[in-house]
Amino acid sequence: MATLPTVVINTRQVWDNRENSKLSEVVYKQRKMSAFSDCYLELSDDPVRFEPINQLTNVFFDDSNKDVFTVRSGGVMGVVVKGPKENGKVLNFRMEDQGTVLSIKLSLDHKVLAVQRNNTSIEFMNVNKEHLVVEYSISCKRNASILGFVWSDINEFAVITDHGVELYTVIPDKKALKQLKSTSITVQWFVWCPRNNIAILASSHGSQLQPVAIKQGSISKLPKVETEPRRMALKGDVTLSTLYGTAAVLILRHQSGPHTAEVHVHLLNVSGQSPVKAHVLKLGLSGRFAINVVDDLILVHHQASSSSQIFDIALAEESDGSVRYHTTVAPMKSLKPTSITLPGLVEPQSHACELYSPNWVVFQPNIVIDAKLGCLWHIKLRLSELCQQIKDMSVCTQLALNRTDGKPVLLTLLSDAIKADKPDMNKLQESFNHINLVYRDWVDREVQNQSACPASASKNQSSPRVLIDQNAMFEEIFQTMSADADLLKIERVLVCYLTSLAEYGVPVQFNLNKLLVSTLARQNKFNALQQLLQYGVITDSKPLAVLLLSLGNMHSSSTQMALDMLARLKANDEIQEVLLSEHQILSALKLAKDEANPRKFLTAAKSSGDPTLFHSVLYYFRNHPKFASVLQSDERLHTFINDYNEMFSGSCA
Amino acid sequence: MGALNQDVDIQNFFIFNSQLCPKEGEELKKIVYYYPPSDNTEVQVENVGLVEGIIQFTQTFNPDSPVKSLHTGKQRQLFLQPERDFWIVLTIALPVVTKVKENTSFIEYLEEDVQDNVYESVLRQLYDMYRLFWGTFQHTLEQSDLGTLMTKIEKFYNAYLKTLRMAHMDILTVFKGIQYLPLDRHTFLKIQCFVNDVESNMEYIAHTAFLYNEHVVWSGIEPNDMQTIYQYLIDQLLPANVEAELQGGSMPRNLQSPFTALRRGRFITGPSNLKQAKTVGKVPKIYLFNEDGVLEYYLVVYRALSATVCFFVKGKTELTLDQFKALDEHINPRLSPIVNSIADYCSKQVVSPSNIQESSPKFIYFNKLNLACKSTVHLDNKHTGNVACSADSLRIMADMKNTSHFLGPSGENIVKTTNDYWVFSKTSNLREFYIVLQQKSASLISISEEVKRLCESELEGIFFHPM
Repeated sequence: MATLPTVVINTRQVWDNRENSKLSEVVYKQRKMSAFSDCYLELSDDPVRFEPINQLTNVFFDDSNKDVFTVRSGGVMGVVVKGPKENGKVLNFRMEDQGTVLSIKLSLDHKVLAVQRNNTSIEFMNVNKEHLVVEYSISCKRNASILGFVWSDINEFAVITDHGVELYTVIPDKKALKQLKSTSITVQWFVWCPRNNIAILASSHGSQLQPVAIKQGSISKLPKVETEPRRMALKGDVTLSTLYGTAAVLILRHQSGPHTAEVHVHLLNVSGQSPVKAHVLKLGLSGRFAINVVDDLILVHHQASSSSQIFDIALAEESDGSVRYHTTVAPMKSLKPTSITLPGLVEPQSHACELYSPNWVVFQPNIVIDAKLGCLWHIKLRLSELCQQIKDMSVCTQLALNRTDGKPVLLTLLSDAIKADKPDMNKLQESFNHINLVYRDWVDREVQNQSACPASASKNQSSPRVLIDQNAMFEEIFQTMSADADLLKIERVLVCYLTSLAEYGVPVQFNLNKLLVSTLARQNKFNALQQLLQYGVITDSKPLAVLLLSLGNMHSSSTQMALDMLARLKANDEIQEVLLSEHQILSALKLAKDEANPRKFLTAAKSSGDPTLFHSVLYYFRNHPKFASVLQSDERLHTFINDYNEMFSGSCA
Repeated sequence: MGALNQDVDIQNFFIFNSQLCPKEGEELKKIVYYYPPSDNTEVQVENVGLVEGIIQFTQTFNPDSPVKSLHTGKQRQLFLQPERDFWIVLTIALPVVTKVKENTSFIEYLEEDVQDNVYESVLRQLYDMYRLFWGTFQHTLEQSDLGTLMTKIEKFYNAYLKTLRMAHMDILTVFKGIQYLPLDRHTFLKIQCFVNDVESNMEYIAHTAFLYNEHVVWSGIEPNDMQTIYQYLIDQLLPANVEAELQGGSMPRNLQSPFTALRRGRFITGPSNLKQAKTVGKVPKIYLFNEDGVLEYYLVVYRALSATVCFFVKGKTELTLDQFKALDEHINPRLSPIVNSIADYCSKQVVSPSNIQESSPKFIYFNKLNLACKSTVHLDNKHTGNVACSADSLRIMADMKNTSHFLGPSGENIVKTTNDYWVFSKTSNLREFYIVLQQKSASLISISEEVKRLCESELEGIFFHPM
């Protein structure tokens, strides 16, 4: 859509105006205005309000600073600048009327105002609080005509003319500009992306699209966008945006004949390769469209049907090898209706805003302006409503995983799916796999970070948008399942989750292992527990071995498994304790070797009531080179010798 | 040598209940079943009467522990009272060799070759197998009458006794263990998920067991019950079906490709050909016994590639053809990738028999808690006597097993035979481990070391008591 550096908002420019758009083909569905619960897009509650456009007032929008300029009578009656937030700082000033304002923009630090009133020059004014002080200007080369200008950095200023780009540095104190660079290229129109500092310069009626990066005092040409040869594009059909951190050129392609419109997505990778068509969004409609990007989702609004489609290029959909074809992830839906309060005769009145109005202009990434109404909204995604519209759990999971606030939504989604009467285990498995793919990558990076450079590693950069780790699963999913009624379900979902972890080679945490053991034990499924342990599903750990030991009174296999586990962990001390508690004193003693504590063993042997055993243990210590002296010196052990003598005095004599 | 050598054989097998007819002169009525039918009634009555007498006589000495066996010069008799008043008796003719001494040949009965614990186990299995399919004797008596019980028993044992290979019973018969398939965690979990998915979708399925070839991978029912079902599957059901598959596979009729036929799974109990079936076919009903009482299930067995899946369908379920079709539809596509990944794993693990040295030690492992059993002594599961060590050694093992309770929770027993075989038994952490190795002029220490190495390599990850 219209992405002029500064746009005079008038209704002609709002929607992509195609002469041949066939509105009749579009089935316009009368929407029940009462059912908004399934609307997955909404406008911000607190729009930026400004004076609506009229005969005296012009409104401009600067998409670098997201400022709205209301210019009354060419500035003589005042200029009001409002930021993207309704309650933000408002700048008010007056200008002398030196002709119709074509474009007006503040520098990125709001200290210099640039105004274009004709095709050949631009005036600058230093902003001192609310007063404009001095005026200085630049003019472009002879015969060149200014198409627009952008503030590319704090004091950097680029003018795009039909002959190329000129880059200046502005020195407000000296009231002067210094040319830094210029590049010469034929330009018919251009689109600027303030986020990536990239401009697309179009020539040959938009069939040649040349991206240039304007940053750090230089202008660098990037490889041309590879479009279909000689296929023309209107300025309004080209959108520059950022998708998943990569600059992207979105070109709306109307098709002739029975075909419906498509959006072609070209990604401007850093690698220096030419941006080829990577994704095609199939709209399935024709007519007037507008494009926004919210949270890396592409929204395509369709005016005739007053509804929006939503696309995610990260979803693995049908592909022909180089291009992936996408269809809307959820059924087309209207934005959620909204209203504003207008001053009335008696009291303020609520006014329902017309959605998809012809007066709308959209700006990147997610701004909608109704100039006639004097409102600027941000489009917001209602993720949980969107997820409810998507039938396929696996698609839903992938979508939610890539959204900034996806975690609570995804957890609710999972939880609801599991609580269903008959959860589809296969779909659940797919969801877990998507979640754990992200999780595994994160775990891998964490391990690398820790081993490589523990302090300097930037954690924020690498952390995924939605990370559902084992603790999150444990706390948000498994612990919330009503434990008593649903042991079998917990067991099944847990096994499903563990399978997915195994698929990605992520070691299972103790809390999940423990939950599995206790869930099986509570169902008295020791046979299953034994098999799971045998096949290594449950990771060995000392606490788990202790848990198994405590279950020994329910099923003797628990003790066996615990001992095996301790043996694998080489936990000799613990094994000794177990053997002692089972009165296998000699076995324990053999295991203890030189580390034995004579008192402990003698006590155990004595309390067994078996004189032979007591004899064996005492004799072992007495004849052991290390313990013989201990037996002599440690007074606490003398009592055992006395007991022994007493026990065997009769037979020895 | 004479030609009169004879293996162990069943002399007779009978079931009686003294309470059925306490009157004199009508002793025949006590006999519920008698095999062989060729024995005339006089012989039958005589044999039963003799056993009755022995039982009553021995009871006076030790009322708490009824008599288990009777040794005579030519035969061995084993007794089992599985239910109140019902006795099952198995009489075995001792094996015979003809020897020549001082130019006269004479017959020698090899009493030592028949071990009580082995054949007690056979007797127990004879009962357990019946009970699995028909429930207890008492249950039938309560539900119907003696006539029905006798018909059921006759029908069952006439067929079953013929399949028993009496001559090659050994220590494995005592264990009646279950062979588990060694598998990696991930593949095992896939099977778990498959089982969970089926059970949560098909609510009429109470439990599931998953076998790959002759090995159990997953069993949802208790080992004690699985034991008998496993014997049934391995000894009876699967061999019959594998044979049928092999015959059908070599000459595919009316099918486009032999591969599609093999890939597609089918029910081996129930409707074997779903497309043409009009009824659900024969689905055996089984009875499982636990603390809570008797549980009835239908045993539906499905086979695809090398996998056998047993579904234990709740006994109250009305089986319909649609159910089978839905089940087939659901599991068939899911099963193939799982079976393939098991096959992949197994092909990586397999040690072909040629790699194993003949002199390398052979072992039998048994865990009495899950009845897991593994043997490198036996070369197949068919009880044909295809073993990798001497029959002597196997007998020594069974004898060791008989006395293993003297060892307590842990211990070792070592026997050296005159032909340089060493037989080792080891009890530890409720497991039993028997090793046989042949080594000339070896010392006790070197044999112990050898055994220790074997334990570490073959049974890693389990706890052995220090010796």
